Amino acid sequence: MPVDKSQIIEKEKAIVDGIELSAEWNRMFEQRVVFDYDTDALDKVTSLAGGESMGWCYQCGQCIPVCPVDNVGEYGPRKIFRNLQLGADLFNDDDLWKCTTCMNCLRVCPKEVDMIKIMPAVREEAVLNGNVPDELQEVFEKTFEYGNPLGESQRKRADWIKEAGVDVPVMKEIRRPVDILWFVECYPAYHARGKDASKALARILHQLEVDYGILGAEEKCTCDSQRLAGETGLFEEFAEHNIRLLNKYKFNKIMVTDPHALNAFRKEYPKLGGEFDTIHYTTFLAPLMEKLNFKNTLNYKVTFHDPCYLGRHNGEFDAPRQCIEAIPGVELIEMGRCREQSYCCGGGGGGMWLDGFMADHVRERLSENRVREAVETGADVLAVCCPYEVSRFEDAVKSTGNEGKLIVRDIVELIVEALGE
Amino acid sequence: MANQNILIIGGGPAGIEAAKGIAALGYKAILVEKRDRLGGTPDEAQYAALTPDFRDTDEALGEMMAPVLDNENVNILYNTLITGAEGSIGNFNVKALSLGKEIEIKAGAVIISTGFQHFDPGRETQKYGYYEHDDVITLTDAEKMLKAHNFVRPSNGEKPKRVCFIQCVGSRDRQIGNEYCSKVCCGIASKQSIEIRRLLPDCKVFIFYIDMRMYGYWENEIYWVAQEQHKVNYVKGMATEIVKKGDKLLVKGEDTTLRRPMEVPMDLVILSVGMEPSEGTKQMASVFGLKQNKYHFIETTGGVLDTVSTSVPGVFAAGAATGPADLEDSVSSAGLAAMKAIAAVRQSQKIPA
Repeated sequence: MPVDKSQIIEKEKAIVDGIELSAEWNRMFEQRVVFDYDTDALDKVTSLAGGESMGWCYQCGQCIPVCPVDNVGEYGPRKIFRNLQLGADLFNDDDLWKCTTCMNCLRVCPKEVDMIKIMPAVREEAVLNGNVPDELQEVFEKTFEYGNPLGESQRKRADWIKEAGVDVPVMKEIRRPVDILWFVECYPAYHARGKDASKALARILHQLEVDYGILGAEEKCTCDSQRLAGETGLFEEFAEHNIRLLNKYKFNKIMVTDPHALNAFRKEYPKLGGEFDTIHYTTFLAPLMEKLNFKNTLNYKVTFHDPCYLGRHNGEFDAPRQCIEAIPGVELIEMGRCREQSYCCGGGGGGMWLDGFMADHVRERLSENRVREAVETGADVLAVCCPYEVSRFEDAVKSTGNEGKLIVRDIVELIVEALGE
Repeated sequence: MANQNILIIGGGPAGIEAAKGIAALGYKAILVEKRDRLGGTPDEAQYAALTPDFRDTDEALGEMMAPVLDNENVNILYNTLITGAEGSIGNFNVKALSLGKEIEIKAGAVIISTGFQHFDPGRETQKYGYYEHDDVITLTDAEKMLKAHNFVRPSNGEKPKRVCFIQCVGSRDRQIGNEYCSKVCCGIASKQSIEIRRLLPDCKVFIFYIDMRMYGYWENEIYWVAQEQHKVNYVKGMATEIVKKGDKLLVKGEDTTLRRPMEVPMDLVILSVGMEPSEGTKQMASVFGLKQNKYHFIETTGGVLDTVSTSVPGVFAAGAATGPADLEDSVSSAGLAAMKAIAAVRQSQKIPA
């Protein structure tokens, strides 16, 4: 344990139990002895709706080896429980913001200590008290003001369709029922690399002659990551908007680009009265891959990163792999940590907007750790299917010095490359 | 002619269960009890509720003993002590002092269910100051207070605000000589902690342990319930000494997962004492010439597959006379002992006297 220099006390005279100690003992260091177990700290967490299971930890430690944050730093549910038991104030602690809600701990936890419920509950309290890292607070404000965490204009939400090269139907304009309502979400609508994937997906849907439409400028962020980062109020407001909007239109299914949106539609919107049959775009495409007219053979070795919110959270592991393997010439190589055991990119649960904050707490970014693993497989391409990942992994490829060795592509970008369009 | 009666020594849960089984199968049981009532240690030590189901001890034991109290096949001899034994399987002649008078009991087989006694934490070491501090008590002491629904600090009669249990007192200890785990103390401490929290919702309860040994359903029925619903604080690391500080007790030990010393104030400390063979168990081993293990419990000869046969044919042991046992163990082994004792007298009938 490091010695906090500010805690060193120099005493002129030190008398312990009536015995005067010699001068060299007069230098007192910070408290080492546990003088109390302040149960209020833990009680404060377990009394929150959603926080109950924090008190269930029996310190088996199984969460620590699979915690992506502990892999690059010092963290994990077992440690959080222990610190709480020792009186740590999680509501005012940096530890509150490290969890990416990747769910790897819950997967292995025999007691079902559920950080996916605990973290938003405690964070919500911290948010209400204004104890939020600045960079995250900025994103909350941008989302509130602009309808998306990137702070882009709401009117420009569908601007990407002008560059798609194919017609992209917008529900408000076509005024008819569709089979598939494509919920595009923010990063695929605004971020440069997200737009690349959206354009690619639009071309695929076009070739497959899918009867679909998007919400365009009417769509707002699902805010699932903001919810997990503690902004429950924002989430509910936006959810009500989206539910109202979706109820205006007729469609059979929602298809989402973003696994975080999938999570919101599947698990959170029903609680607010929004019941929609929702699938991820890889789930939609997998059975249709054989209908595509591929012109090119891609001689790539591809490794695939399972998004936490597609795989562990929502159980879809096969569809992205089926899509990749259906591309002519592609060889899929798995990383050691894949499927249920997949490592986290660091973007979930608000992590997307906490990179600066996290830099002080980790040896390397989670995305860097993951990119190194991808490079080790010998793959040429790291394939992804979550809009958070493209930019995170491309940055990590550069920062780990792997430029030229590995490229990052959304699965739909690979498909379009093989289609030769 | 071989005798078909079966002598049961000790009227606790194991003895009662054995008598019930023997009577139900149409054989005669002679149940010898040194006290003037049945129920054994759970009754004598005034257990409040049973572990793990929280059933009221008096009610549960009352229900259990009712069939033997008025049963023509069960002859209960109260205030009776066994003093000597002769003979062998099929023909045991046992001497006893019954209500001060010498009597002789004839039996074809014998079941010894003389149980255990609670470890006396002042016996070997004064580490925890059990004899010194009024507010250092044992599980047994706590049980009595819980039964009376009056859980207080013995020193001043006030309700405690902070209570801790120290596990493995008198168990798993080479120096004391009790190397075994007493099996039940983790569960009983957890059960008591739930009872304390129910009785005194503002009282914080801590359990300092080496490892929690909550086998089988005790895990989910006691341990998880204590931690998850009653917010009992489990801290891995044992207290080593207790010193008085003002009117509090300063419990000193190491929080092992933190690798830091701890000195935490408590109002009441409960020592989770384990099991030792009772005096009766040791005496009966000597009277019948039974092999004992190094801890002086009666040794069973069949390993894990026969938990009741002793080194003397026709003599069986049930319950905690053979080692630490919970109530489930005790009644299960009692049933097995009853079955084997009946088999022994039936078999010995075929052998000429």
